[in-house]
Amino acid sequence: MSCIETKLLSKSYGVINAVDGIDLSVNYGKIFGFLGPNGAGKTTTIKLLTTLIPPTAGSMKILGMDAIRSPLEVRKKIGVVLQQPSYEPTLSVEKSLEKYGMMWNVERKMRQDRVEELLSAFDLGEIRNIKNDELSIGQRRRVQVAREFMHDMNLLFLDEPTVGLDPSARRGLLDFIKLKVKDGLTVFFTTHLLNEAEYICDEVAIINKGKIIAIDTPDELKNKFGREKTIKIHLDSIRRDLSNLLIGIKDYELDFNSGTNITIRSNDSEEVLLKILQILTANNIAIEDLSAIPTSLEEIFLSVVNKSNASSN
Amino acid sequence: MHPVIRLVNRNLTISLNKGFMIWQVIFPLIYIFVGGFAYTALIDSVSYGNKSLDYPAYIASGMIGFNIMNSALVSGIIIWNDRRHGMFEQILVGPFTRTHYILSNVYTIGIIGLISATLITAVGYPLFFESIEFNLLTMPLLVFASVVGSILFGSIASIISTRLKSSEGFNVVINTVFLFFAFVSTAFYPAEGSPLPLSIAFYFNPLTYLVDVVRAGIFGNFDTFVAIEMLVLATLAITLFSIATKLLAKLEL
Repeated sequence: MSCIETKLLSKSYGVINAVDGIDLSVNYGKIFGFLGPNGAGKTTTIKLLTTLIPPTAGSMKILGMDAIRSPLEVRKKIGVVLQQPSYEPTLSVEKSLEKYGMMWNVERKMRQDRVEELLSAFDLGEIRNIKNDELSIGQRRRVQVAREFMHDMNLLFLDEPTVGLDPSARRGLLDFIKLKVKDGLTVFFTTHLLNEAEYICDEVAIINKGKIIAIDTPDELKNKFGREKTIKIHLDSIRRDLSNLLIGIKDYELDFNSGTNITIRSNDSEEVLLKILQILTANNIAIEDLSAIPTSLEEIFLSVVNKSNASSN
Repeated sequence: MHPVIRLVNRNLTISLNKGFMIWQVIFPLIYIFVGGFAYTALIDSVSYGNKSLDYPAYIASGMIGFNIMNSALVSGIIIWNDRRHGMFEQILVGPFTRTHYILSNVYTIGIIGLISATLITAVGYPLFFESIEFNLLTMPLLVFASVVGSILFGSIASIISTRLKSSEGFNVVINTVFLFFAFVSTAFYPAEGSPLPLSIAFYFNPLTYLVDVVRAGIFGNFDTFVAIEMLVLATLAITLFSIATKLLAKLEL
């Protein structure tokens, strides 16, 4: 059984279909990345899955429960870090963690232990007595995410949790989440930072204009959509005559920034590379460096979203 | 622990801070002691039922009603602050329903109203103790005024909180409402002797009814008019609470 299962889940606001009949199946104990451009429907989907808003149509099962019929039962078992900041301005960092635990009915002794554990894990010890109102955006975000771990849960929704965090805090948070997933937690994770999704997610779905346009593991997505490879050749000398020598060869670019750079971007990049190498050898042109750039999730994302936009236009 | 109790605990923790306590205690004390004694030179005594009250005693009793309104408006702002700081949505994705949230606010407002009324009664007691006529009938009037008045004014603050979107708009409306309620009422001066339009305007203000019920509770002046005022207060409180609840239940996320 899946941890999250939706069938034709939809949410409309008047004539606008914010979420347009999506089918999702998220397995237990995995980190599921949910990617998409601004306004694609990511946050609306999270609001639906966390029962904050009701769907216009479709069905959803969360942790085996019908989330439309038993929203409160679902909410008791999930954690949610929303995209927007949420904090108690008059409470200190420590007090807000403690009070949040109280709101979740966590027993007092356990609350105290967890406060200490989270203050340390999220590097909040030095600001434990500072009021939320006086924190920087990044510190406040750290408190918001840390706070959610005050209570037990089976499924955690994280809507762009790393916004405003510096690289080290971001990496710390991602590693903390990975650790919790090892203990059995399932995570539904949205982000704009695709290297982040690549680092942390077991499976990724891309949503555009309310529809899921791709869903698979990051590696499988690369295999499916990442046929275009990039290869770079660097020559020490500036060879402006190269464009004449390479006449007839497609899918390459030349630039003369500190020597000569030939960049091949093609679905048949190996074939193009072979032709270029033959020409360079025939003309006794020495190669300084040759590198292949692996396809990133970012490139897949851009390619898939652009194709989706083009087809809907 | 029941979810509503947990939310009330949270509401009281975030509301009962230093600033709030100063606002709740110092502010009315300035009115009672500075205003009360300063105006004694102008207003020697105020006739109240079959009694004559000195002005500090009159204003001190008015301040109890004023403070109930004040605290209810401030605690009604919990909803505004929760919306502004993202806690409204955060609570609703937690183990709570909108009903839990609404009830917790009602209880919080009621508790803060009672605390405020008790504080000001204790502080104002030396000023009106000579005229006090507490009895079994009048004591419940004070509790009624505290609870019903809190729900009424808390509902007004909740309605404003759910309808407005900008902080500027919210502050302008709350301050205007506060000014009207505070000064177009019998909290500071009696309706009798005021210009006719003003004395009529007094009775378009629920604070006037609230203050009258508080005074009836303190000075033992319960009569048919006060009973009607209590009925008006209760009806208004129920109506406004229903509206506030509906608006909150429909609030889009």
